[in-house]
This record gives sequence, structure tokens and C-alpha cells, in this order.
Amino acid sequence: MSARAAIVEARGLAKVYPMPAGPVEALREVSLTVEPGDYVAISGPSGCGKSTLLHLLGCVDTPTSGSLLFEGRPVLALREEERSRIRLRRIGFVFQRFYLLPMLTAWENVELVQSEAGLPAAERRARTRELLTYVGLADRAGHRPSQLSGGEMQRVAIARALANRPGLVLADEPTGELDEETGEQIADLFDRVNADGTALVVVTHNLALAGRARRRLAMRSGRLAEPAAVAAT
Amino acid sequence: MSPLQFAWRSLSRQPARAWLGLTGMAVVGALLFDMLLLSRGLLVSFRDLLESTGFDIRVTATEALPGMGPALSDAASTAERLRGLPELADVVPVRFGSVALDDGDADGGGLRGAKRRGLAIVASEPRRRAEWKVVQGSDLAERGPGGRPEIVVNRAFAREEKVEPGSLVRLGSAPPAREFRVAGIVEFPFEAAGERMAGVTLAGFLDAFPAARRDEADLLLVASRPAVGAEAAVAAIRRARPDLHTFSIEDVLERLRQAEFSYFRQVSVVLATIASFFALLLVTTLLTVSVNQRLGEVAALRALGFSRRRITADLVAESALLVGGGGIVAVPLGLALARALDSILRRMPDLPQRLHFFVFEPRALALHAGFLVLAALLAAAYPVLLAARLPIAATLRKESVS
Repeated sequence: MSARAAIVEARGLAKVYPMPAGPVEALREVSLTVEPGDYVAISGPSGCGKSTLLHLLGCVDTPTSGSLLFEGRPVLALREEERSRIRLRRIGFVFQRFYLLPMLTAWENVELVQSEAGLPAAERRARTRELLTYVGLADRAGHRPSQLSGGEMQRVAIARALANRPGLVLADEPTGELDEETGEQIADLFDRVNADGTALVVVTHNLALAGRARRRLAMRSGRLAEPAAVAAT
Repeated sequence: MSPLQFAWRSLSRQPARAWLGLTGMAVVGALLFDMLLLSRGLLVSFRDLLESTGFDIRVTATEALPGMGPALSDAASTAERLRGLPELADVVPVRFGSVALDDGDADGGGLRGAKRRGLAIVASEPRRRAEWKVVQGSDLAERGPGGRPEIVVNRAFAREEKVEPGSLVRLGSAPPAREFRVAGIVEFPFEAAGERMAGVTLAGFLDAFPAARRDEADLLLVASRPAVGAEAAVAAIRRARPDLHTFSIEDVLERLRQAEFSYFRQVSVVLATIASFFALLLVTTLLTVSVNQRLGEVAALRALGFSRRRITADLVAESALLVGGGGIVAVPLGLALARALDSILRRMPDLPQRLHFFVFEPRALALHAGFLVLAALLAAAYPVLLAARLPIAATLRKESVS
């Protein structure tokens, strides 16, 4: 176990969704710690609670019970504005459907979150240039999402997730909309992101992608299976 | 990227929707602007007419409109007494009458009256200010060449009777008719389209109406001294002659506001309300549809850390662009529409030609802008509520499943 302070520390998390037909327990007694530099993959069948867990870890949603600390701060005690600030500055999100804004160019999509975080223009420009080069899309900076391929859009989305230098990037089925070869490229990119020091939690069905993580967790019916420690390759 | 820039890009993403919104707002905004012009147009126009005479106070014997009620007796001495008040610059007695034009022979060479047709007469003193404006020939003299009384006539009369300065017309409310020399062609502020009007001196009035009682006036036109102002002058007259009825222009307008013109005000308020409602409905619908189409995007932005305040600002800016853009186009469109509507309404009989229903004033523009700001805020309220209360995780989950 590392002595470094955890980025996220979840203990006994449960999430129950009230439904007309009766409450649905999406998560049951889930405990998980993500430390700086971690690379965690969570796999499991559809509807087992993977995305719910990811949303809780990313301060997008709050648990029904249990405790959740983000960089030592109790998430449940934070107001929505504070959770929003944490998401903006400390967490990066990568979605299956990319969710790039179609009316903005790749450059503007990456710059927008920095602008929201209040970074000065010069710093934003330098960071955006750096990130688009990092994901190999410097020459596509002026292109809109409709002019990019699926793999390129996901690379822009990863650049956007990294824009405010977060400690943790959460990815929800990041290769779900991509073919195998493009998925491999995205997996390579995640390897680089993690190697450069950013902690990653990836929810995926893609075994090849999950296989790259140092910690692979399986989820069944809202419970995390005993973590299988995987030796770092 | 500021909310306004972001909103602009959002609108440009769906140009058809943006054009639809802008066009709808321009049309509805034009109607709203016109109703604002109509709500006070008649009063503003009527004030202009009253002020154009050069007199800011009217004195009558009763509450009745001038010419409709009993006349003032002892007009000359009353006028003389009022002239003595330091608050007043001028006092002019005025008489009104209606006379048939005699169709006798053209023995003077200028008389062309072929039929007996009515003529409205305004009688005043040569000291008058701008009860009429000379457009051809000269103004009245107390007595013309050869001791003939003089008359000024309006264009409608001159055209129909084919008279010009120097012509003779024979007028009389009762035989024998009296010959008047046409001194000039004039415009009366209150003349209706096609109305035949003429102006004579008070002495000439008695020539045209031999049976009329001497030393009467239907109205005293009073000009206050500029340094004193109308209200102080009105107060001075009321102190000096409490038996008379004295009205400043504001008093006259207030009376019209409460009675004759309230109909137009009510119509304009109802139509302005309907127009505002449609503007609101249009923009709310467009924004709500737009937000519903991009719920996933909004949820993703929120997950990325965009605050509720930022999402709200983006939507309000989008609403402001639609409403503001359409509202700006609405002004010239509304002015063109107002001109067309004004020309239709002014065809109503017996209305002064110079009276307008739609009158531009900066106040209407300010009100229009105020309505639009309110409409933009209200129109954004529901979509903002929808976006700000969006459950982020549930929406992302639903979007990924769909």
C-alpha cells in the first residue's frame, strides 16, 4: 500500500434508486481507494453499477450511504458548487459518446474548460497547443467534431479531460463507440496519460483496455469483487 | 469563451432555428412596438397640434368643448382684464361658426360657388399667433381694400371653389350674403381631410353671422409668459375669474386620456399583452426544444465542472440574442407597419389631418427595450430551470443507454 494521500477514498458506498416498482440497489457496500498514479479498470455486465460507481467517484452524484473522501474532503458535506469546482479542476471525464460541443472546433473544445476554470488566455493557448500535440491532433485544431473521426473525437475529449491538469481522469466506456484498432490507439494514449502521472479509473467492457490497467476490478450486482492485484507490467 | 459568444455559437449551430426565432421575434416585436406607439400616439400628436397654435391655455364658459357649449359673454372686457395679468403674454378671443356658401352670381369676378355647401369659420383677432399658417397670399387685415372684410381659406375650399388670393366669396348665415375678399390660402392645425375651413376677423364674423351676439367668444386662447409657465398662468386666471373654466394643455390631454382616447389605449394594452405573450411563447419553445435536444451535452458539461450559473448564463444569453436580434429588426419593421396602419386609421371621417395615431417617441423605444429584456429573462426561465435541475448522472446514464 502506498503511503501517499488517496485521491478518492470510498467506504461502504451504497446507491439506491427509488423506482415506481420499488427501490433498486445499484451499489452495495463498495469500498475503493484510488491513489495518485493509479490505473484502475472496472469491468462487469451491463447494469451492474459500474457507471454509478464512476459517477460517485467523480462527485457527479452522491451515495445513499457510506463515506466518500476526495483528496481528504468529505464529498457528502460539500455543496453542489464546491463539487462542481472539484470536477472542473481536479477531475477529468471521458465519455463513451465524447460529448464534444459540435459548434466548437477541437481547439475551442479543449480551451473551453480552461476558460471556465479562469485560466489566463496566454496560458490557455499554450496548454491547448500542448495537449492537441500530445494527442496527435495539432493539425486538426481548427476542425469541428463533425469533421473528425470517432478516434480523433475521443482524443480531443481526452485532451479536454486533461486540460485543467486533474489528478484523476474517469473514463466511461471510452472505446465503446470505436473499432478495435482505434480502441487500441486510445488505450495507448491512456497508458501515456497514466505514465505521465495522472490517475485513471476506466469502466470498460473492452478486455484489451482493461488488461492494461494495474488494478482490475470486477463488478457484479452492485458489488466489487475482491480486487485482483495485477502486477504492473 | 463568454456566455454571449457561446450562445452565438449555439445559435449558429442550428441556423434554421435561429432564423425562425429571429423572424418570429421581429414580427411579434414589430407589433409590440406599434402598440407602444399607438398607446400614446394620439395624445402626443394632439399635444403637438395644441402646441402648434402658439397658445398653451384655453378658457371657456363651461366644461363643454369649445363651440359645443355656451359662449363667453363680455369677451372683450374679459380678454382685456386677463391681459392685465402679469403671468399672461397674450389673450385672444375666438369664435366658431358654420355657414353655407352662397351660390350667387360671380359679379365680383372671383365667386365660383355653384352649390350651397358648408364652411367652418374660425374668427380671431389679428393679434393671433398660429391658429393657421399662410401658405399662399397674405394674412388677414382688419379691413381689406375698399373696406371689404377679408377671409383666409384652406386648400380644400380653394380647390373646390377655385378661388385664389384676390377672389371674392359671398358668405352669409342669413340673407343678404356678404362679400369677402380672399386674402390668402392657409392651413388650419385641426382641419380634417376634405374639410372646408376659413378664417375671418371677429368683425368679419359678425358680417358673416349678422344675427350673432356681439362681444361673445366661444374660447379664449391664452399664451402664458415663458418664464412663468402654463400652470402658474392657469392658477392666476382661476384666481381672477373663478367662474370661467381654464385648461392648460395638460388638462386637456388628461381629459382626453380619460375619455375620448382611452379606447385606443385599451386596445394597445390588450394587443401589446398578446404580442408579449407570443414573443415569450416563441422563445421559450425554441429554447426548451433546444435544451431537450442536447440534454446529454448539458449533463456532460455539468459533469466537466460547468456550474449551474454558467449554464444559466449561456441560456439567458441565447435568449437575449434571439429576443434582442429580433427586437432590433422589429423597430424599422414596426415603423413601416405603423406608417401603413396610421394611413388607414387616418381615413376616419372628421379627424384633423395632422393628427396621427402612431407617433414615435424615445419613451416608446425605451419601453420596447424594457419589454424585450423582460421577455428574454422570462423566456429563458423554464429552459434554465430544466438545465440547472438536470440530474447529471441519471441523464448521462439514460443517454448512454439510448
